[in-house]
Amino acid sequence: MKKALGIGVLLLVVAAFTAWRSHDPETGRYVFLSAYNLENLLQRIGLFGVLGFAAAFVIVTGGIDLSIGAVVCVAGCVLPWLLRDRGCGGGAALVLTLLLCAGIGLWHGLLVAGLGLQPFVVTLCGLLLYRGWMRGFSDDQTMGFGDAAEGLRWLATGKLPLGESFGLPVPLLALAFIAVGTWVVWSRTVWGRHLFALGRNEEAARFAGVPTRRLTIAAYVACSLLAGFGGCLFVLDVNSAQASSFGSFYELYAIAGAVLGGVALRGGEGSVLGIVLGSALMQVLPNTIRLLFDSDRMEFAVVGGVILFGAIADQVVGRWASRRRRPA
Amino acid sequence: MTMHRRAVFAFAAALLLVAAVAGQDAPRKPKLAFVTNCVAEFWTVGSFGVEAAKAEFGVDAVVRMPANGTAEEQKRILEDLLAKGVDGIAVSPKDPENMTALLDKVAGRALLVTHDSDAPKSKRLCYVGMDNYDAGRLCGQLVKQALPDGGAVVLFVGNLDQDNARRRRQGVIDELLDRSRDPARFDKQDAPLKGGKYEVRATFTDQFDRQKGKAAAQDALARWSDVAAMVGLFEYEPPLLLETVKAADRLGKVKIVGFDENDATLQGIVDGHVHGTVVQNPYEYGRQSLALLAALVREKDAERRAALMPKERFVDIPARAITKANVEAFWTDLRQKTGRK
Amino acid sequence: MTPAAARPDAPLLQARGVGKSYPGVRALAGVDFSLRRGEVAALVGENGAGKSTLMKVLAGVVQPDDGQILLDGRALRLAGPADALRAGIALIHQELSLCDNLTVAGALFLGAELRRGPFLRRQAMRSQAREWLQRVGLAVDPDKLVAGLAPGQKQLLEIARALRARARVLIMDEPTSSLTMVETARLHEVVRELRGEGVGVVYISHRLDEVKALADRAVGLRDGRNSGELPREAITHEALVDLMVGRQLATARRQPHAPGEVALRVDGVRTLAFPGAPVRFEVRRREIVGIAGLLGSGRSELLRALVGVDERLGGAVAVAGLPLAGGGPAAAARAGLVLLPEDRKAQGLVLGMNVRENLSLPTLRRRGWLVDGAYERDLARRTIGELGIAANSIEQVVGSLSGGNQQKVVLGKWLAATPKALLLDEPTRGVDVGARAEIYARLHALAAAGLAVVFVSSDLEEVLTLADRALVMRAGAIRAELAGDRLTEREVMLAATSMEAE
Repeated sequence: MKKALGIGVLLLVVAAFTAWRSHDPETGRYVFLSAYNLENLLQRIGLFGVLGFAAAFVIVTGGIDLSIGAVVCVAGCVLPWLLRDRGCGGGAALVLTLLLCAGIGLWHGLLVAGLGLQPFVVTLCGLLLYRGWMRGFSDDQTMGFGDAAEGLRWLATGKLPLGESFGLPVPLLALAFIAVGTWVVWSRTVWGRHLFALGRNEEAARFAGVPTRRLTIAAYVACSLLAGFGGCLFVLDVNSAQASSFGSFYELYAIAGAVLGGVALRGGEGSVLGIVLGSALMQVLPNTIRLLFDSDRMEFAVVGGVILFGAIADQVVGRWASRRRRPA
Repeated sequence: MTMHRRAVFAFAAALLLVAAVAGQDAPRKPKLAFVTNCVAEFWTVGSFGVEAAKAEFGVDAVVRMPANGTAEEQKRILEDLLAKGVDGIAVSPKDPENMTALLDKVAGRALLVTHDSDAPKSKRLCYVGMDNYDAGRLCGQLVKQALPDGGAVVLFVGNLDQDNARRRRQGVIDELLDRSRDPARFDKQDAPLKGGKYEVRATFTDQFDRQKGKAAAQDALARWSDVAAMVGLFEYEPPLLLETVKAADRLGKVKIVGFDENDATLQGIVDGHVHGTVVQNPYEYGRQSLALLAALVREKDAERRAALMPKERFVDIPARAITKANVEAFWTDLRQKTGRK
Repeated sequence: MTPAAARPDAPLLQARGVGKSYPGVRALAGVDFSLRRGEVAALVGENGAGKSTLMKVLAGVVQPDDGQILLDGRALRLAGPADALRAGIALIHQELSLCDNLTVAGALFLGAELRRGPFLRRQAMRSQAREWLQRVGLAVDPDKLVAGLAPGQKQLLEIARALRARARVLIMDEPTSSLTMVETARLHEVVRELRGEGVGVVYISHRLDEVKALADRAVGLRDGRNSGELPREAITHEALVDLMVGRQLATARRQPHAPGEVALRVDGVRTLAFPGAPVRFEVRRREIVGIAGLLGSGRSELLRALVGVDERLGGAVAVAGLPLAGGGPAAAARAGLVLLPEDRKAQGLVLGMNVRENLSLPTLRRRGWLVDGAYERDLARRTIGELGIAANSIEQVVGSLSGGNQQKVVLGKWLAATPKALLLDEPTRGVDVGARAEIYARLHALAAAGLAVVFVSSDLEEVLTLADRALVMRAGAIRAELAGDRLTEREVMLAATSMEAE
């Protein structure tokens, strides 16, 4: 919760700075705050936030999933293939794609919890395996829908009108749904309680009779399922996927979003609000750069710098506050 | 331009005849490789050209595409090919400026030509392709056509560390600003570019991430309400621009000009939403690179080999502008070549 | 397993001819053990005698190679700790193993949550948690995070958890090793109450006074075999030691040597935990000083502040007359002041590294850019020999050594830094009687050789036998200094628990 507050403050500062600097003296409007820009931004937050939650499920158990980007690629290639080349209906194609991704998660879970392999190794190999497999599967062709998926594309590009000029992007609603669901699971169900116990001290959880293996497997399934759902949204958004690059490095955005939001890499710690805010920050910063600067070549440097600054500030403020709290 | 291309063809054909006659003594087919700079549909068309050349010129050939589109990856591909042993390589160098040493090493152990993107400082034998600067100027002419009254233009490109991308972009800029022809010129990303009726507001890069390309297009529309045209310099970009402009409800107000022959781009031209696109001829890149290499491999005599070399060591395969006027004919031909419906 | 099906004459829990081998080690060989209802059976033996393995077999953590386990006279197959828990056998660990990111109520019900469908009944768990906590005398809010509890409170929470699981057999492994005297007394009360209710308790402790006070029967193990039993009336210190090691150990208080000049001077040092309590004391060469006090009285914090692991709020520390001004543990070590920390596994050792690497860690020398391998190997061989560390080779991984040998490695690594004053925090926690005597002898020898030794201990017997002089702390301040005839159990208890007039 404390972490969520910190990242929230940083997000607010970045947003306020961007809004202030994006003022256009000719039209008198703040470009950052325009309905069009906010819609775009919220849609991207929705898309990447889903991946943030995917990463969080596994990180909470003390594991890691480096194959999120590759699973996004799998979903991005398989969904158009089912829809256009196999003539599946929209719903059926979506369900089949998600099942395939859940299957990948099951495979990861079995290797990690059943066979005792390192999550890093399993998912790093998965990253290479699935992307390579998709390149072969798609024969390096771009996979797209053409006009085949107009209905389904609403999931990624649709908006629910909210007032006259503003519409709430559907992916943000999907993220809200996932966030609330995750919150309920984490803080109100037995499953969530066990997940956090397992993440902090697997040995103790096992001694307490917690089915740690089954839980770990379930966490990997949840991760790949969410990554697959994210992948479907991404491909529905841009309408085409190239197996060699689609979703490449997205696992880093996902992990960064989750960790920024206070999901501890050692496991057993995480807040839903933090993940949403962390993922949001990862999307606001590039937007800031493109709206304010004439060149985007410093993008990575600015993103890295701002986040590092945030982490330093968090630590310094934390120390200062704890010193103040102790009576002299 | 077509003169020496024909000459190469004629010579290659003649050589083929000779090879066919002498073939009984030397049954081994030349082993050639065609290396691209990334994975794209564009190169799928190119690989069909390679396929055609295999039968036409009696060679063995492999196509290699670097999955992540990085120079390191391309380096590994080239080194592996040398290790495997090939007679000739045609490569589209990812980073010509810094790959000179590597290309020279390759040229020392196999016949090397560049295609698509040139590396003039290296010891490559020849460049097969178009001049990207000239293609950029052609694209600039399309923008001028779309915006006879001038306006603000935003450019989108995969990255700017690749020679063909830099020259393509410079061509567009120089044409819009009515500058003289100077392929060596380079305007920085944040340089103010205004002249006459046209202004180039910005160049956005997306590192081949489609989602990022789309986000950049959205942000450009959000930032400037007066954008009159957007230009996508890489194959996958015009469709993203089309998507974005459509979603922002600014079709017609923001003109779209592109590069290459993505289906969605061509459909956009047919529908009247995309003004035009500049297409290269990857099919011929593949076919003619191999034709030249095949001829060179079979000619052992240095002097006669030199005579095979085209003028200025450049096989020009010029770019063409596709607009509503010629899109149907072009698309039909493309489908025929790629064997797609 | 229902009471109706039970045979009333059968022992509650019985192990028959249990054997267990690990690669290269025969941990148990034909061991018999039985436990009646309402009985406290103490399991005694040196580390490595097979106590832990027997305990793990009884709790279903490991499966025996041969022999069988009977509950109420019926054979029991335990595939895992969850099975044992269902059968009513609860294990309370030596190493505290709660998930400290949970709340107290969450930890109490871990694995047996009250639920409505998939959802937690948090309110119900909270109110029931209060009752269970009350039974073990633990007055904490059920919503408090486990991470915020003191070690003693965590131990009581573990016991509350076992009670909550309706355990009929309670296996307690060193339950008091991290408890204060008051907490220990409370725990013993709880154990006696449970005994009165018919619960069988297997009690493992290195503290023989505890065994004497609590056990109805003592069962000895030596080298993985039964080494005999003592009925309640026969349990004496000497008999227990006989049972465990078969030899007599000298643990009498040594004759104090004539103290030398001041080796460590602490003047007005305050810690972050007790910023209002400045501490002042001196320790001379050849002197052994014990610091007693309840858990949470600020003893460990004081030692940590002295060497600079924690921040020092004001005050001065001088080692052999030279002031020590900040710079952390490295500077303190250079000045000749070193600390052997309380939590061996977390703070004292790198468990995954081998003996050689651990021993050379603070004093590692470089040759150019490289580690001076000759120095390192020489140091390791010398220390193993001098301290009698039972390791196969200098390359053995420290995590696989017994507790006593691990403690010797910690000692050896700091002795390599040639200290002038040695601080030890709970030096014999989790160490068996044999190794304990060796550590005492070693400390005596070090003091005789001119070192100043200061140790913190919650084991009163240890303070009484080892120290020449004792400082008793309460609420961060030194409340009493006891030596000679005044150094008695009663005086220490009085000073530590504020029963004296303020």
